Amino acid sequence: MVKDMLAAGQRAHEEGKLTAYTLIASAYDEIIRAMDIVPLWVENFAGICSAKRNAMPFLEKAESHYFSRSMCTYALCCLGFDALREESGGMPSNAPWGGLPRPDMMLGTGTMICDPRVKWFQAARQYMPDVPIHMTNVLWPAYQQNIDHREVQDYYIRFMVSELRDLVAFLEQRTGRKMDWDRLAGLVDLADRTWNLFWETHELRRAVPTPMGTGDAFNTMVPLAFMLGTQQALDFYTALNQELKNRINNRMASVPDEKYRLMWGGGLAPWFALSDFDYFAAKGASFPVEISYRLAEPLYNLNLPRTSDPIEHIAWRWFKYLTYWYDAARKRNGSYPEVERMIRYIDDYQIDGIVIHEAFSCRTWHPGLICQLNTLKKIYRDIPTLVLESDMVDIGSYNESETHQRIDSFIDILENEKSQTSGP
Amino acid sequence: MANTCTPSGLALVERYYSDYGSRARELKEQGRRFIGYLCAYVPLEIISAAGFIPFRVKGNVHEPISAADAQMETIVCPMVRSYFDQTLKGAWDFIEGLVLPHSCDSMCITRDIWRTSLNLPYFHLLNVPHTISDNSREFFVDCLRTFRTSIERYAGRTISNEAIAAEIEKYNALRKAVRHLYGLRRGDEPRISGSATVRTLVAAMSLPVDEAIPMVESITIEGSKQGPAFRKGTPRVMIVSSEQDDDGLASIVEQCGGAVVSDFTCPGLREYGQDVETCADPLVGLAGRYLNLNCARTYRGGTGKQADDLEERFGVIGRLAADFRVRGVIIRVHRYCDPYGLEVPALRSYLANHGLAVLYIEDDYSIMDIGRLRTRIQAFIEVISGSPETGVNIA
Repeated sequence: MVKDMLAAGQRAHEEGKLTAYTLIASAYDEIIRAMDIVPLWVENFAGICSAKRNAMPFLEKAESHYFSRSMCTYALCCLGFDALREESGGMPSNAPWGGLPRPDMMLGTGTMICDPRVKWFQAARQYMPDVPIHMTNVLWPAYQQNIDHREVQDYYIRFMVSELRDLVAFLEQRTGRKMDWDRLAGLVDLADRTWNLFWETHELRRAVPTPMGTGDAFNTMVPLAFMLGTQQALDFYTALNQELKNRINNRMASVPDEKYRLMWGGGLAPWFALSDFDYFAAKGASFPVEISYRLAEPLYNLNLPRTSDPIEHIAWRWFKYLTYWYDAARKRNGSYPEVERMIRYIDDYQIDGIVIHEAFSCRTWHPGLICQLNTLKKIYRDIPTLVLESDMVDIGSYNESETHQRIDSFIDILENEKSQTSGP
Repeated sequence: MANTCTPSGLALVERYYSDYGSRARELKEQGRRFIGYLCAYVPLEIISAAGFIPFRVKGNVHEPISAADAQMETIVCPMVRSYFDQTLKGAWDFIEGLVLPHSCDSMCITRDIWRTSLNLPYFHLLNVPHTISDNSREFFVDCLRTFRTSIERYAGRTISNEAIAAEIEKYNALRKAVRHLYGLRRGDEPRISGSATVRTLVAAMSLPVDEAIPMVESITIEGSKQGPAFRKGTPRVMIVSSEQDDDGLASIVEQCGGAVVSDFTCPGLREYGQDVETCADPLVGLAGRYLNLNCARTYRGGTGKQADDLEERFGVIGRLAADFRVRGVIIRVHRYCDPYGLEVPALRSYLANHGLAVLYIEDDYSIMDIGRLRTRIQAFIEVISGSPETGVNIA
């Protein structure tokens, strides 16, 4: 599916259709689909380079252009790739799966997380000075103790709606045609149903033994993260939902002899080392749930205001999703939303231990993970935790032997916990 | 016997720079109340109007980070880690609250770490949009209104528009005083060094605005009366950086034979170059000024021509370089800084195209690390020593 998605971008470029560099979780999925812009998901491409262990030449190229290797390696990988592609005037010979074609525009987003999404495309513009950039703010209120998010929601929604309307205007200008609002409303409805089905499908993983682990979830998130607003995405989760039900009915487990149920408590995936999940599995450890890439809550839990305006609906959907855990946090002294989410998952999925991954190059997801674990232990209960360290792209940061040793030690702790709980 | 002499501006700067926070501690004992803040994006006028003295939290390049490591990941900007480390160790134990702006990931994403670790009575995260469009300005006014409400609730008092307007006037006076200070550095024989300027501005960050203004003015008067800090012909250098709360880099440049005559840093001309405009609603004036700070965390330009884009982002640096007749620019980026790091190739190229020599350095916000750069800085000064002032590309 990922390969097909990349191929679709390459085909669109060859056929002269408009393409855009796009970023995950930017709230503009249905808008670009409704305007027939073919997305080229840059973070996804960097992940592909990483998974195929082919990112190093691109990272090195970026470094040779004075981009520090301490920065986001998703951005560096793609910047190095852009530099090579533009210098050679064609696709680099080492481009994985046919490579990322030159876009017609770049759609950046300013959010509460991820500085690179604000600056990345301007950096890329050195290699593509004729490619325009449009920046959309998708902001949400931070959890504050003396300001309830409902006090500020009206102006946040107003802002997001204005920003998305500006994006529509930009796309209308680039494409030379007007937005089909009925079509957009249809795609928004499709996206709503996909969100719900994604969540319901993941809830099936509560089963013991779990029918699907995080390793697979990191792959099956692709339709939600990169194909939202397409029938293909909805169809995918329809099929996955059925498959998981069948697996549960037939007691087909993700890990045949499931002894420990773990949560991926945060951090981007080390795409070059997904086989570590097999190592966990060999020790009897499954992953029924993860924080990363679980990018939806069911709409029927979000209490969205009714609106006939699809842009407003998108804004409310994201706002409510991003503030979903705030009320729960207010009810528990010392807690905050990220910790509440962990607590709920620990309970719902019968979690024995938590694994987090600290990717050295990403300040978006990773700072604060240790604090979340510390807070969790303080306000809820002590639970075994494992901190893995490497990166999402830079394989030079990864040490397989050391990682496996850490996993072994963690399994020993889990085993000890189990034996103490079950008694002699 | 008590010393009845009024200390010189220089003496005050040396005292408050070398013992940062000492004046706040004195005032705290007298019953004054302090709210800490990070970065240049927090409107100090609102904190002051609420009856608190804003105190800029800083780090310490001379002290290894230790306490912070148990709670804050080492992949966070080392400067922010040092801020946190110092705060955690009690260096600023007189603050009763903290305001963090959403300026960059290292500040915004770490908000829960600050909040839960310090457990201060007051905490606020000020949201800041990433663009300077009309939408963003309108939104930012709302964010400032929320900040005002938040601090009003904590202070237990309302903040009038008049009170904010009065504070705007004071802070504008400080900005003006700092710009006058920079005027001493334009001539052939600059009257104040770059390192002394850094020390002055850092000392000012720790003071109530009413005390910071006369101190800066004293430095300017004293500087204009004393002999030159550098002889004519000393290679003129500008430093471009995110935050710079230590004189280490400027000192090394000056020890190596350069004259740091200008900067685009915080605190520095990025922060003091622009006043708050007088508006019927003072929050509108504040939003315009603070949102428009030319920091790499904010997106500028993009849909037009690339040349216009670069001019909008870096034009102010080019103009300052010309105004202060610098020969070389040092771009300093702290490790793990994505916003500034992603600017480096374009900025290098822009400056080189304007005939400026460029040295790019990445450091770990420690004096040891800055010291290691001495050889490169020395070589850079030697290179630009042989070149005329702006106009010739020697990059």
